[in-house]
Amino acid sequence: MSEAAVPVVTLPATLIGRVDLSRLVREVESVDNDFEVQKVRDHKAADGLSIPMMSRSLSDFLELNKIDITDPQARMTLKHQLGVMKDKSPTIRMVFASEPEPQSVQQLVAWIRQEIHPGALLTIGLQPGIIGGVYMRTPNHVHDFTVRTLLAGKRDLIRSELEAVLKQPPVQPAPVHQPVEATA
Amino acid sequence: MTVYWLAFILVSLFVILGGFAWIIIELRRGGPPGKGKKSVNDLDKAYSDIATEDVDHLFNKEFREELRNRGRLRFEKIIDENAMFLKQDLDLTISQLNEYMKQEISKNLDSEFAAYAKAMSDAQQLALATLQRTAADVEEQRLALARALETSVAQREASLIKVYEDNMAKIIEHYVLQALGEQFDMKTQLPYIIKQMEENKQAISEDMRA
Repeated sequence: MSEAAVPVVTLPATLIGRVDLSRLVREVESVDNDFEVQKVRDHKAADGLSIPMMSRSLSDFLELNKIDITDPQARMTLKHQLGVMKDKSPTIRMVFASEPEPQSVQQLVAWIRQEIHPGALLTIGLQPGIIGGVYMRTPNHVHDFTVRTLLAGKRDLIRSELEAVLKQPPVQPAPVHQPVEATA
Repeated sequence: MTVYWLAFILVSLFVILGGFAWIIIELRRGGPPGKGKKSVNDLDKAYSDIATEDVDHLFNKEFREELRNRGRLRFEKIIDENAMFLKQDLDLTISQLNEYMKQEISKNLDSEFAAYAKAMSDAQQLALATLQRTAADVEEQRLALARALETSVAQREASLIKVYEDNMAKIIEHYVLQALGEQFDMKTQLPYIIKQMEENKQAISEDMRA
């Protein structure tokens, strides 16, 4: 899979994974079908077609990529590109300790698409045993950024701290001064 | 003084008896045999009278006083001489006795001191040897105890450290797991996650673009 094979369209941050992309593809096809029905049934011109109700994801996607959905050529290209992306976009599986907030996931997706790959998709998993951080699996590698692994890697630090404490000389308690009783 | 008086009386008696004996001897040897025929009783009486008269004449008061004085002086002289001799003997004896006593005492003291010193030296040597042996035993026991303690402490320390090494990290990790299990907020983790991905961005990018 090469970057050149994946069409360059900007995916919105609300589109996270392959399921969302499939849903987007289906919605684009549905919109395209609706336009085709309008054109066949009502014999409307392209500029006279009524735009059907679209989801927020599709609206954001179209606005972000500045695509005219009423243009049949643009729809065809979009369907093709989305189909290719659906099949070939790299997917990253990210496992968290708890259910992440959508805003956080969107931030992560935005960062990944900006810094690593513009067509990257995410699948989210849960594993409470990792405590925190993320267990990330790319197509060929695994990147363990979990707190559990971090703690396991810091065991020597605990041992060294304990040894340092054990090697310290015992602290002598300060002498307690007994108050001198006043003599009559 | 009683002794002096007794000696003086005895001497006077001897002198008087001697005088009587001399008179009797002279009368038997020098008297004229034919001067008259008198009875023995008369003769005895006459001799007795003569003797009494002579005695009275010879041993009159001055003579007796003279004899007494002479006897006293003689007796005092003898007594003084004897006393002097006795004193000299006594002084000599005392000095010899003192010297003898001194020598005997010194000898006995020297022998006793030598025996005491030897006994003290033996006792000191014995006590010193005993103390040295005891000190050596105590030192050996102390070293053995120290070695045993060091070994025990080292084993105990190694055991504790091993237990710590084996379990402490797991215990702390388990504690952190239980304490923080689901308390981490995703928003607080996000900077850490992005930082980790930023550090591994090159590898992730290469993997994604491969």
